[in-house]
Amino acid sequence: MSSARQSTGFAFIAPLLVLMLVAFNAPIAYMLGLAFWDKAHGFTLEHYAGLLEAPVYLRVLGNTMRIALVATLANIVIGYPLAHWMRGLQNRARLVAIALVVLPFWVSILVRTYAWIVVLGNGGLVNRALQWLGLTDQPVQFLYNELGVTIGMANVLLPFLVLPLFAAMIRIDDRLLQAAASLGAPPRTIFWKVYFPLTVPALAAGTLLVFMLCLGFYVTPAILGGGRVPMVSNLLDTLINQIPRWEQASAISTILLIVALVIFAAYRRLDRKASAT
Amino acid sequence: MIGASPWSRRLLAASGIFGLVFLAVPILIVIPMSFSSARALTFPPPGLSLRWYAALFGDSRWMEAMATSAILAVLASIAALLLGGLAAYGLRRGSFRGRDGAEGNFMAPLIIPTIIVSIALYLGLARVGLLGSFLGLVVAHTVLNVPLVLMVMGVAIREFDPRIEQVAWSLGASWSHTMTRVVLPNLAPSVFAAWIFAFIGSFDEVIVTSFIAGRYQTVPKKMFNELILEVNPTITAVATLLIGLTVLALAAVAAILARAGKLKQTLV
Amino acid sequence: MKRRTFVKGAASLPAFSALAGAAAYAQSKEIRMIESGGKSGDSIEVGYIEPLTKKTGIKVIRESPSSLGKLRALVESGQTSTVMFELGSGVMVQARKLGLIEKVDWDAVAPAAMFPEAKNEYGFGYQYFSTIMAWRAGQKEPKTWAEFFDTKAFPGKRCVPDYPHYCLPFAVMATGVPADKLYPLDVDAGFKKLGEVKRDISVWWKAGAQPPQLLKDNEVQYVICWSGRVVGDPAFGMNFAGGMADLSYFGIVKNSTPGDKAAAYKLMHEMSLPENQAKAAEVISYTGPSPELDPLLPKDRLWQFPTSKQNKAVQWFQNAEWWADNGEAVNKKWEAFKLNL
Repeated sequence: MSSARQSTGFAFIAPLLVLMLVAFNAPIAYMLGLAFWDKAHGFTLEHYAGLLEAPVYLRVLGNTMRIALVATLANIVIGYPLAHWMRGLQNRARLVAIALVVLPFWVSILVRTYAWIVVLGNGGLVNRALQWLGLTDQPVQFLYNELGVTIGMANVLLPFLVLPLFAAMIRIDDRLLQAAASLGAPPRTIFWKVYFPLTVPALAAGTLLVFMLCLGFYVTPAILGGGRVPMVSNLLDTLINQIPRWEQASAISTILLIVALVIFAAYRRLDRKASAT
Repeated sequence: MIGASPWSRRLLAASGIFGLVFLAVPILIVIPMSFSSARALTFPPPGLSLRWYAALFGDSRWMEAMATSAILAVLASIAALLLGGLAAYGLRRGSFRGRDGAEGNFMAPLIIPTIIVSIALYLGLARVGLLGSFLGLVVAHTVLNVPLVLMVMGVAIREFDPRIEQVAWSLGASWSHTMTRVVLPNLAPSVFAAWIFAFIGSFDEVIVTSFIAGRYQTVPKKMFNELILEVNPTITAVATLLIGLTVLALAAVAAILARAGKLKQTLV
Repeated sequence: MKRRTFVKGAASLPAFSALAGAAAYAQSKEIRMIESGGKSGDSIEVGYIEPLTKKTGIKVIRESPSSLGKLRALVESGQTSTVMFELGSGVMVQARKLGLIEKVDWDAVAPAAMFPEAKNEYGFGYQYFSTIMAWRAGQKEPKTWAEFFDTKAFPGKRCVPDYPHYCLPFAVMATGVPADKLYPLDVDAGFKKLGEVKRDISVWWKAGAQPPQLLKDNEVQYVICWSGRVVGDPAFGMNFAGGMADLSYFGIVKNSTPGDKAAAYKLMHEMSLPENQAKAAEVISYTGPSPELDPLLPKDRLWQFPTSKQNKAVQWFQNAEWWADNGEAVNKKWEAFKLNL
């Protein structure tokens, strides 16, 4: 039985594979190949050498990774307790909570970004409240720095972590936890030894998803960062539409792709190890 | 959590509510702004009016953009869910040569910067004569959203015990029967999450769409132009309408489920 | 003599002139353009396309938005569907260097009088816009760029463009370089000036909608922004003096069919007529390239337009050629500067 299924495994991915090869791989190969090709000289590594000579573009890439990491961590800190709390809610309350997680999706990222300006700006709601309460004299600078970018990105991406995590959590059988409790395990031990490990695969997948989405963010960092937080998407837009250096943009994209694929391969390795045990 | 102390429960509730409020803040701002009488985005609104709703419904271009976006997102999300769901199943349950390579390949649209994907798709679609066509848009959005589906469904399928399937098979259930009666009901919350990611991924996509859509206007493409060129509160009216529709749809689902007494089983 | 009168008479018959036209080229009945969209696109529709369709029956389909990346993709893909493409001044020079646009046949356009910079070999400059200083009403009003960047005498937060070509020249002017000696641009002096005041620059904007919104929210007090964003709103003060005039062009996409080009030139002709430009200026506060436009514009709004005599005289013109040659090198410095904010 199992061997029959293994031999058919490929059939499941075949339709998608065909679509991807035609509609994605071929054109992308052309684009990424641009960095290796020069009309006059043929094969070249000049565009990669250019990156090393003037490392400013690589530094932007590094900065992007750092911001993405911070925003992803913020997502985990807010998202994990939220999903866990939602699991424990009664039906009606749970439905309301799911609605609140899904609803922000309908507000375009652009509009949400402007909404944050209203909330967190110098004359915004939060600062007015803080001053009214007498907590600060000077407005707190939430926006136009990395904090603003992190808040904006975390807000947009939080549902991408919470929903799969919540889906994994409600699949955990309560009887398993009850059994552990009846064996005398304290709540903390049950959580860390039984519950948490069962959520790790979904947490890892959600984290990876959020991190990769962070890397490509464009509008939010540009506006909430006040232009002080250089990100790679912005740089690529300049290289494609203003300067125009498609070849350089393609070299940067290839490096980004390789880094991300290495991270993804590490994740798959961990995931497989986890499923083997 | 079982047996947890009241303090840790309260802490959990507080952090959960904080998370929800954090998510809901933009909604709480956008809805009142849509009823504003001001010409620009200001909060709190200086006065109330329905002028932006009038502007929205009075402008056939907005209505067309909404229809285009909705149809596109429905088609692309279903295609991504079907193709991505099947592929996730094949990747998790099967074992064949090049499995990891295929999976990495399917994730690539998420990783390669969108602007590069835009140009690549433009050249590719032009070659097959689909540039500026609706079919071309659906294909592009499908490819872009496959990674989201794959990520969510991949984990869900891996965590789903294969022995349950094997039992169903050994009891003589057909493959389709096993799928529809055993596998899918268990995966329902993840299927829902994957679908909504794909739907929103398509509904909010602007960079690729601006490149390849030709004459088709989608809501974000139109919004993007408006926001870059002129801040116009009509976009808050669009957002408010969409929020309203979602609340109604969720309420209807809840009512139907409650009547059927199935709320507990379906979980979502 | 006789023959001449015959030709003249026959040409006045509609059927004959249509035939003569067909012999020279099959002028397209429908063409496509890619423009930047939004209000600007509406102004093209109202100002130029409607009169063209009324006169000739030629239909024009508009797509948006336009970007250099899209133009290059359009040409590389071998498509010939789109004939007109909107380009900023610097981008037009880039497109010319990359061989993405063709020369404009000015004889075929036969334009009405135009400002010379708008009549480019490779593009029709159809819309002027200005990059100027503006402030929140009630602030102390700077007169020069030196004053604008003097954060001690003019305290307040700044918001400036996150585009080197819209920002650096003003920083260089603040060091005392007059507008006519600006190029070749002393880039390092510009960066030095920006470095001195970087603590007071709270936002570097990417979207033109940002500066007016930030002024309204009192997040910043002084901005460098596009004129059309702030004119006509009593919440803002502004000064065209020392501002930079710039042009958006329409180029002809490489390898376009002769029929499409013929129709495109007809549209360009409409774009050169001051009465049409006046209609477009009702939709957007940017103006067309006719020197005879001022009398057709509403008197009380003259001060708002980039090309009205009082404003055009006090501004200087963007040097697109210099930026096309030096843009990449400057941008690398710009990115490095931004990393050290």
